[in-house]
Amino acid sequence: MNPSQGVLAVGTVLAAAGLWLLLPRGNERGRMLGGVLVIAALGCYGAQIPAVGDWFAKGMFHAIALVTVVGAVATISFRSPVYCAIWFGLTLSGTAGLFLLAGAEFLAISTIVVYAGAILVTFLFVLMLSEPEGYTTYDRRSWEAMIAAPTGAVLVGILTMTIAASISMAAQTDTTHASLEKSPSAAKNAIAADAVATPTVPPPTISELGAQLFTRYLISVEAAGVLLFAALVGAAALVTQGGVGRSRTAAATSSGPREGAAHAS
Amino acid sequence: MLPIALDALIKIAVVIGGLMTAAAYLVLAERWIAAWIQDREGPNRVGVPLTKIRLFGLGQPLADGVKFIFKAEYTPGHVDKGLYFLAPVMIFASALAVFAVIPFGGLLPGNIFPASWGVSEPINLVIAPRLDVGMIYVFAMGSIAIYGVVLGGWASNNKYSFLGGLRSSAQLIAYELPMGLGILGVVLSAGSLRLDTIMQQQAQTGAWNAFVQPLGMVVFCVAAFAEATRLPFDLPEAEQELIGGYHTEYFGIKLMMYLVGEYLHMITAAFLIVILFFGGWHFWGLTGSSDTVTWTQAILRIIVLNVKVLGMIFFFMVARWSWARFRYDQLMSLAWLVMLPMGMVNIAYVAVWQEYGEQLATQAGLPPQIAMAVCGWAVLVATWFVGASMAPPAGDNRPRRTPLEPSFPMNLEIPEGAGR
Repeated sequence: MNPSQGVLAVGTVLAAAGLWLLLPRGNERGRMLGGVLVIAALGCYGAQIPAVGDWFAKGMFHAIALVTVVGAVATISFRSPVYCAIWFGLTLSGTAGLFLLAGAEFLAISTIVVYAGAILVTFLFVLMLSEPEGYTTYDRRSWEAMIAAPTGAVLVGILTMTIAASISMAAQTDTTHASLEKSPSAAKNAIAADAVATPTVPPPTISELGAQLFTRYLISVEAAGVLLFAALVGAAALVTQGGVGRSRTAAATSSGPREGAAHAS
Repeated sequence: MLPIALDALIKIAVVIGGLMTAAAYLVLAERWIAAWIQDREGPNRVGVPLTKIRLFGLGQPLADGVKFIFKAEYTPGHVDKGLYFLAPVMIFASALAVFAVIPFGGLLPGNIFPASWGVSEPINLVIAPRLDVGMIYVFAMGSIAIYGVVLGGWASNNKYSFLGGLRSSAQLIAYELPMGLGILGVVLSAGSLRLDTIMQQQAQTGAWNAFVQPLGMVVFCVAAFAEATRLPFDLPEAEQELIGGYHTEYFGIKLMMYLVGEYLHMITAAFLIVILFFGGWHFWGLTGSSDTVTWTQAILRIIVLNVKVLGMIFFFMVARWSWARFRYDQLMSLAWLVMLPMGMVNIAYVAVWQEYGEQLATQAGLPPQIAMAVCGWAVLVATWFVGASMAPPAGDNRPRRTPLEPSFPMNLEIPEGAGR
């Protein structure tokens, strides 16, 4: 085990403990301590990732990443489901910002369109089904915090280790290239491109994305289309069951819960 | 680097300043137009303060703004404080952020900078000219704006507000689909999601999309009205039923943010309709259609675009007093049973035309744009006829419990004592 892996292990333990303290378990004790522990764990994780790019790109990346991480932690640690949904929205906006920074415009915007639309629906479910105020706590508590917090921490730790290893490996090969080419500054900028271990790709545009989707990934697109269509037909079948083609009184007298639900919608 | 940042900052200043002023004076214009339609005087008193100069009431927006800002800042005791403050900010910020991709003119010649700066390319009059996904970005910001409405309705802890918020979420989600379908036809024919490319394409062919895809224009205009929650689609507010809906509990500067956000949505909708379907800055014989512009053409393009937008806003304001508000089931069946199929027909028509029609027209020796316009109007009339014959306008207009229940032929047996 080399020192960086040791730091990561410490960070994982700190993150697990901090997240466990932050999760809404029913009492408020130790949430401040949990916050401090999570910040320390983020420090441990962040120290493993070498910085890439000029100061402006770095600053932007760190600011957006901080917003994203804070939003993510707040999503799981707030008690009111409504606030959780809002923080989740902030997390997704941060993710979209990171995509935008990496040049993936379409992915960034569609993250907001698809996920923001979806969370809005989630949010409406929250409004309808949960009880944000009152004496009941069953939908304002996190269940199995003891398992969830370490699992999340270990996942983040392993991902950080993998990413850091790939970046440092790319940096090593790159510095050897650079020492041959006598241009160390170019090496630093090329780290980001090499870290993802792909050949140099042109900046993705919508038309290229569309061409890829309809040539190389055509089967996947068609499969997704068929799946969605099946889901649509299923939803329509559920809604119209007993509704169309029968008179209103007949539907009302043969009162079943499904028909009642179909008419109430 | 510096000229680019400076360029963006100047554009942002121009757009935000222009929009805020425009929103203020559009309120005055709306009140004047309402007065004109209802045959009364309208606001005509406020002029220069402390004098008797009236200036036709042009001081009214300023007085309104001052009134809003200096109103007592009181928070009702029963609201959810955090979300109560967040909601108007969200709707206002997202309404402003849309304008990052909306062009407010064509191009400017590059020779306004000193030669030593090395900038010689023409300046694109849009804040984020390199964003490739302009149209989807507009959608993304629109979907964030819904949060402002729903959150405001929920955080107010008021039944009327909550009803308004729920209505608006259902309405806005339902009408996003026809809006997207209306846009897809334009995107398909322009081959780009960028608004400036779409305008450029219309200028080069000389045929505005309103002429060649009239069905798409109808679908998009109706959906844009609904997304801007203007009458006849203003169910989320519905002063007469919901005392203002989601902003019942708001006042002072937070109410002003809601109202200005609403006006910004209307301006956005007008810009989008003009850019997508009415040629943007293009006008035959005036503005030219090439990539390079002279100063005269550049200024003419800005004027043409903004005059068109003002005309569209005038249409919005006149439409407000021309239709009654839809009933809720009418609203929903208009979205799902009329606009959605019409939008699909439009996409199918545009796709078929792009694939086969253009070749056939050129082979037959017809000018393709005119042939497409004829086909487009034929498709519109045919769709209209089919839709009208499936649901006769003189048929049953009673509320239906589900939009899927057939209204014609009338086989409904209403139970005794059920209210009509």
